[in-house]
Amino acid sequence: MDAALRRIVSSRLEADGSLGDGGGDLVLAALAGRDGLEAQLAGRSASPAPLAVEAAPAAAGGAFLGSIAVEGFRGIGPARTLEFRPGPGLTLVVGRNGSGKSSFAEAIETLLTGDSLRWKERAAVWRDGWRNLHHPEASIRATFLVEGMAEPCVVSRRWDDAAVFELAEVAVERAGHSKADLESLGWTSALRTHRPFLSYNELGSLLDEGPSKLYDALSSILGLEGLVEGQGALQQARLAREKAQKEVAEGRGRLLERLRVVDDERARRVIAAVEGKEWDLDAVDAALGVAGAGAGDSKGAEVLRAIASLEPPDPAQVTKATAEMRSAAAAVASAQGTAAARSRDAATLLEMALSFHAAHGDGDCPVCGREGALDRSWGKKQKAAIARLREGAREADAAHERAEAARRGWEDLANLKGDALTRAAEVGLDLNELVEALAAWVRAREISDLGKLADHVEAASVPLRDAVLRLREAARAELDHREEAWRPAAVEVRAWLLGAREAVRQAADLERLKKAEAWLKKAAAGIRDDRFGPIAERAAGIWERLRQQSHVELGRIQLTGDGTRRRVVLDVTVDGVAGAALGVMSQGELHALALSLFVPRATLPESPFRFIVVDDPVQSMDPARVDGLARVLESASADRQVVVFTHDDRLAEAVRRLDIAADIVEVTRRDGSVVELRRSLDPIGRYLEDALAVAGTAGLPSSAAAHVVPGLCRLALEAVCMEVARRRRLTRGDPHADVERALTDAGHLNRLAALALFDDVERGGHVVERLRKEAGAPLAGVFEQCGTNVEVEADSTVDLVRRVSQLTAWLRGLA
Amino acid sequence: MSAAPRDVLALARGLLDRPDPEMVGLWPRASALLAHRALEAAVERVWERRALDLKGCAKRVQIICLRAYLGDTDLAARAGHTWTALRRACHHHPYELAPTVTELRGWLSVVEELVEKAD
Repeated sequence: MDAALRRIVSSRLEADGSLGDGGGDLVLAALAGRDGLEAQLAGRSASPAPLAVEAAPAAAGGAFLGSIAVEGFRGIGPARTLEFRPGPGLTLVVGRNGSGKSSFAEAIETLLTGDSLRWKERAAVWRDGWRNLHHPEASIRATFLVEGMAEPCVVSRRWDDAAVFELAEVAVERAGHSKADLESLGWTSALRTHRPFLSYNELGSLLDEGPSKLYDALSSILGLEGLVEGQGALQQARLAREKAQKEVAEGRGRLLERLRVVDDERARRVIAAVEGKEWDLDAVDAALGVAGAGAGDSKGAEVLRAIASLEPPDPAQVTKATAEMRSAAAAVASAQGTAAARSRDAATLLEMALSFHAAHGDGDCPVCGREGALDRSWGKKQKAAIARLREGAREADAAHERAEAARRGWEDLANLKGDALTRAAEVGLDLNELVEALAAWVRAREISDLGKLADHVEAASVPLRDAVLRLREAARAELDHREEAWRPAAVEVRAWLLGAREAVRQAADLERLKKAEAWLKKAAAGIRDDRFGPIAERAAGIWERLRQQSHVELGRIQLTGDGTRRRVVLDVTVDGVAGAALGVMSQGELHALALSLFVPRATLPESPFRFIVVDDPVQSMDPARVDGLARVLESASADRQVVVFTHDDRLAEAVRRLDIAADIVEVTRRDGSVVELRRSLDPIGRYLEDALAVAGTAGLPSSAAAHVVPGLCRLALEAVCMEVARRRRLTRGDPHADVERALTDAGHLNRLAALALFDDVERGGHVVERLRKEAGAPLAGVFEQCGTNVEVEADSTVDLVRRVSQLTAWLRGLA
Repeated sequence: MSAAPRDVLALARGLLDRPDPEMVGLWPRASALLAHRALEAAVERVWERRALDLKGCAKRVQIICLRAYLGDTDLAARAGHTWTALRRACHHHPYELAPTVTELRGWLSVVEELVEKAD
């Protein structure tokens, strides 16, 4: 994220408090990308770094290019240095395709950005070709003259023998400073926002990929990708949440439908919890937490559960109880007729007599009739007798007590819950068998003989046990059946609950995200208009110059919409008819438009770059538009250092003809990637200088010079004739294309001279005559000499060049 | 018309093979001029060897006649193309830059074949 843009967003956030608490943090987090936003939403990151930390980049003054030295990179083998005149001005670097000129342009970009836009999208095999095959060393080194720095700043990028492209050693060196890295220049964000490089590829692809692509490309020219990315991150986060919400809502509908056919209390509880608008997810969770059927107020399940837990008589217990009955009965029987038994009976009898005496007072014995038998002393005596008798009767008492206990032993053998059983019919269980078995079982109450009781208990416990087991089984089966219907439904509820909890948690986020998204959308449009306004204005001005004879008129350029509706609105009029689109523009016009947008942006005052590098803007431009381009570059070069790489002489010719101050450098390339650079003169001066060099060079045999020199002289004469004819016709307003066609059709020296002298290509026969009359016989002579393929004497070549120079000067005077 | 075509050709090739500080940037045009001369000289040599009096004809006519007299129509055709290309390189054309080393090598190899054939 580019810090400058972030600062702009931050200050807008501060000025506009409409976003609620934390909303601004969301926006800033979104500018850091999707991960940053999610971290912010999850509360994993503290609020984004405070603004103070992001101070403006080290204030770097404007930078001019001093020179670029390239070695072993792309088309350049042995090291070559391209020197620039520092300061504002225009430099043209002219060379045929493959001459290595573009390698210089790429080198500057690579040096500063570590990459080249034209490589970005290419296949690896293409990228791998960055190293020059003819030269093992690879390095790029440029000097920059930066305002406020006394010494030039040297930036270099050097690769070891086997290093891959990405692994270069980068250094920034300044006198009096230690080596530093690229960041120290403070150019990182400016390289994006005010990219000072434009290549032919970018020009070409900028406008032909549809309105939304064009929007992206233009907003990338504006350096606003960060905002687009931020909006994208917010949108993605919102869409993901909306999708989750929708899925949960749909899942709820399916779940309700599903639960309604499950006969289970828990299902009913879940339905109740989520049926309404507000969901009680904790209640859903609680329903899931219940272990089995029969919970709470489900009556049927409660009964079933009670029945399922019935305990039938345990055979071992039955055996134990009946054995006790029998053994107690035996103990009673064996105590009968013993002294103990007699004492017990006697004690009982006396106790009854004592209670009779206590109730009725002294009197006769009610048993034997003896008078006055019952009195106080009798009572006293008998009480002592009872105590003695009881002592003797204890054994018999114990046997009787044990028998009583054993008699009740059967009552605990079957623990049957009356409540549940009385309601068994409600849950559809058949009780007949149990009722019958119980009726038989409880007859035990009526049996007083312990032996008989034991027999009865033994016999009746078997059908009772069977009946209980069967009933219990039936109850358990019914419970299982009910649980089976619930269990898979519970799995679904659990799955849904997970999503629902997340969705409820995110519902709050969603609102914040929507607000943040809407805010950023509005802010982005505002920032975009702020930034694009002046560019659009200047772009329209540049287009006006570049369009020349184009029928396409360009009014306002606007970036509108966003998301999938983002597009560029170009107010294009063709021959006065409005509403036309980019489709009506030629490739050359599109390039011109792209250039119109590039130049203003790259030359904005806030850019730290005082140079712009344009690679081959001339391709597919017709000559008239090249004139416009030359003018555009001229005005840009008033306060910028403009470096243009171009593959033919059209731009250079326009610059010379229009008298625009420019340095022109020619690039040629020999075998083995040996690149040659030389300052260029105009073609006429160049040919003459070359001819003189050949005439005077000791390196070339005189026989060669004798042929080459007249050839170069002829080239100079042809060039000057063309210049004269072109200047005259363009000055009087002839269409550019017509002028060029006339020059191309003319072909050779004599006809070109006819154009220059008479403005009539057909008057070749009168050329020499007029030259003889007006320029003098010697100059007419050299004209003839150059026109035919006659070789000159080796020692007169220098003389020939001198005379041809005079002739070109004379011819130039004609224009 | 004194120079032997083989010698002129060698000069043209020398400009490509041996960088000369005095010839920086101008060797492509110079080499093209010499190659052009060598080609025309080779054509003249063909007429001499076959005792044909075509020297006075226009160069274009001579090039066309090569196809009939050279005994190698393929080479004659390539020599024709090369002559056209060299002629273009030896005249000033609007906005055109000097030929590249690759173009020159292609032309020189055709001229060389013609020189061999002529002798």
